[in-house]
Amino acid sequence: MTSKTHHTEVVRATRSSRIAMTLCLALLLALIAMPWWASSGNIRWAIELSCYIAIAQMWNLLAGYAGLVSVGQQAFIGVSGYLLFVLAQNFGVNPFVAVLLSLIAPAILAVPTYLLLRRLDGPYFAIGTWVVAEAVRLATSNIDYVNAGAGLTLRVMTQYSQHEREVGFVLLCALLLLTTIGGSYWLLRSRIGLALTAMRDNPVAAASQGVNVGRLRFYIFIAAAVGTGFAGAIYYMAQLRITPSAGFDPFWGSMSIFIVMVGGIGAIEGVLIGALIYFLADRLFGEFGSAYLIVLGLLTLVIALYARGGVWGLMQKWGDHAWFPVRRKLIVEDTP
Amino acid sequence: MQWLDAVIQGVLLGGMYAQYALGMALMFGVMRIVNIAHGDVMILLSLIAVSLAGVLPFGNLGLIVVIVPIAVVIGWILQKFILNKVVGADPLPSLIATFGLSIALQNFMLEIWSADTRSLPNSDIASASFQIGSIYVGLLPVIVLITALVLTGGLDAVLRFSRFGRGLRAAAADTEAAAMTGVDPKRIYAIATAIAVGILGLAAVFAALRATVSPSDGSAQLIYAFEAVIIGGMGSVWGAFLGAMVLGVAQAIGLRIDPGLGILFGHLVFLAVLATRPEGIMARKK
Repeated sequence: MTSKTHHTEVVRATRSSRIAMTLCLALLLALIAMPWWASSGNIRWAIELSCYIAIAQMWNLLAGYAGLVSVGQQAFIGVSGYLLFVLAQNFGVNPFVAVLLSLIAPAILAVPTYLLLRRLDGPYFAIGTWVVAEAVRLATSNIDYVNAGAGLTLRVMTQYSQHEREVGFVLLCALLLLTTIGGSYWLLRSRIGLALTAMRDNPVAAASQGVNVGRLRFYIFIAAAVGTGFAGAIYYMAQLRITPSAGFDPFWGSMSIFIVMVGGIGAIEGVLIGALIYFLADRLFGEFGSAYLIVLGLLTLVIALYARGGVWGLMQKWGDHAWFPVRRKLIVEDTP
Repeated sequence: MQWLDAVIQGVLLGGMYAQYALGMALMFGVMRIVNIAHGDVMILLSLIAVSLAGVLPFGNLGLIVVIVPIAVVIGWILQKFILNKVVGADPLPSLIATFGLSIALQNFMLEIWSADTRSLPNSDIASASFQIGSIYVGLLPVIVLITALVLTGGLDAVLRFSRFGRGLRAAAADTEAAAMTGVDPKRIYAIATAIAVGILGLAAVFAALRATVSPSDGSAQLIYAFEAVIIGGMGSVWGAFLGAMVLGVAQAIGLRIDPGLGILFGHLVFLAVLATRPEGIMARKK
C-alpha cells in the first residue's frame, strides 16, 4: 500500500482579480499624479467621483451586508463637514489635518443614533435615520456659532497655492478610496467578512452559527458613518462652503441608493459600475433636471422589482469574472 | 394662556397628522411595509384636487367625493403593480422600490405643476372661526380633528369586528397560517392599501384647504406620519391617533418658543420617546 500525500492549497486570487488589482493600483497612482498632468476641472471631477464611490460603498456595506437600510447618511456628511470648517476656520487647525480630526463627529453621532434606532423594525429603521438627519440639520440651522442657516466659508484655504491645494486633495482622495474601497475589500476577505456574508444571506442562520449579529451591525454602522463623513469632509472642503441645506441634503441618500442599486448591491464591483454610470448620466443628462430625475427614480424602482442584482448581477450571468473575489477555493492535488 | 393656546392648536394640527398616520399604521401592521412615497401620493392627490377645483363646480364637499375614489384607485394600482412584488421578510426591496417611486413622483409633479405652492380657493369653512374664552379656534381644523377621530374609531371597529378585520389581523400575525384557513392575503393587502390611500385622499383635500402644498412637501408629511405611528406605538390605530396629537402639540409648543424650532421639537419628542419608551405610549401589552 502506498500512502498518498495530499498537497492542499487555498486559492483566493483569480486572473480577473489580478488584472483588476493592477488596474486599481494604476488608477490610484494616476489619481495621485493628477496635479502634474490634469487640468483643475478634471481634478474637481476626480474629487467628486471619489466621494460618490466612497459614500456609495459605505451605504452598500450597510444595506448590502449588515441589512441596515439607511436613508439618512447625510447626517454624517454634514457633521464632519461642519466640524472640519469649525476646526480649520475658528481654531486655525491645518485644514488637511482637520479633515482627519473631523471624523470624530460622525463616529460620536453614530453611537446614540444606532442605539436608539435599532429598536425599530426594518423599514422603520430607515425612516428613523432620516429623522435623525433632519433633526441634526434643523439643530445646525439654529446654532448661531456656525452661522445658522447661512452656513460657513473656508477662507483659510487661500493660504495655499492652487497647486498645493490640488496635491492635498488628490492625496486625501487616494486615502479615502484606500480606506473605503480597500478597507471594505480587506474586511470582506477577513474572518469578519465571512460573518458579514453569512449575515447578508440570512441573519438568523448566521446568529445560530455564532455570529454576534447585533454587535457586528453596530460596528458596521459606525464604520460606515466614519467613511461617509470622511467623503463629506473632503467634498465640502473642495466646495469651500457648507450650509445646513447642502450638507444635510437628502440628495446624498438618493445618490447612494441609486448608485448601489443600479450597479449591483452586495458587491464592490457594483458600486464602481454604479458610480461611473451615475457620474456620466449626471454630466450628460443633468441639465434636464426633473425629467432626468424621473428616469433615475423609475430606474431604481424597476431594478428593485425585477433585477435586484443591478448591472453587476446581470454581468455575472455571463461568467464569473469577479474583480474583487472574496471566495476561497480549495485545491487538492495528489502528489506521488 | 398662550401655552394653553399652543396645546389646543397642537391638538388641532395633530388631527391632520393623524390622517396621514392612519394609513401608514394600517399598511405596516399588515404587510410590514413602509411606503416611502406615502407623503408624495398625498401631495399628488392635493395637487389633483387643486387642479380639479378650477374645473369642477362642486365645492369642497364634492371635491372629496371625487378625490377619495381616485385615491382608492391609486392605492389599488400601487398594490397590484409594485407592493405585491416586494412584500416579504426583507425590508430592502420595498424600501428601495417606494424610494424610487417617491423620487419619480416628486419630479413628475414638478414637471406638471412647477415648484409653486398652491392651495384650494378660500372658502367660508376655511376662514371661519369661533372663540372660546380668549382663544380663537378655526372651524376647519376642528372639522379635520373630528374627521380624524371618526376615521380612527371607524378603522378600529372595522379591524375588531368585521370579517375583513379578522382576516387582516390573521394575515398580520402569520401570513401562511392565515392563507391555510382561507384568508387570501393578496386580497387583504389590496383592501388595506386601498383604505390607506383612500384616507390620504381625504387628508389631501383638507391639507390643500388648510394650507399650501408644493411638489417637494411629501417627505415632510412622510416623516410626520412615521413619527406619529412610532410615538403612539406600532400596531395600534388609536396609538397612531394619540401619537399624532403628541407630535402636533410638541411642534406647536416648539413654534411658540422660537419659530425655527417647531419641527425640530417634534423630532426631539420622537427621539425622546424612542429612548425612554420604545414600544410607544400606547403599545399593546405582551
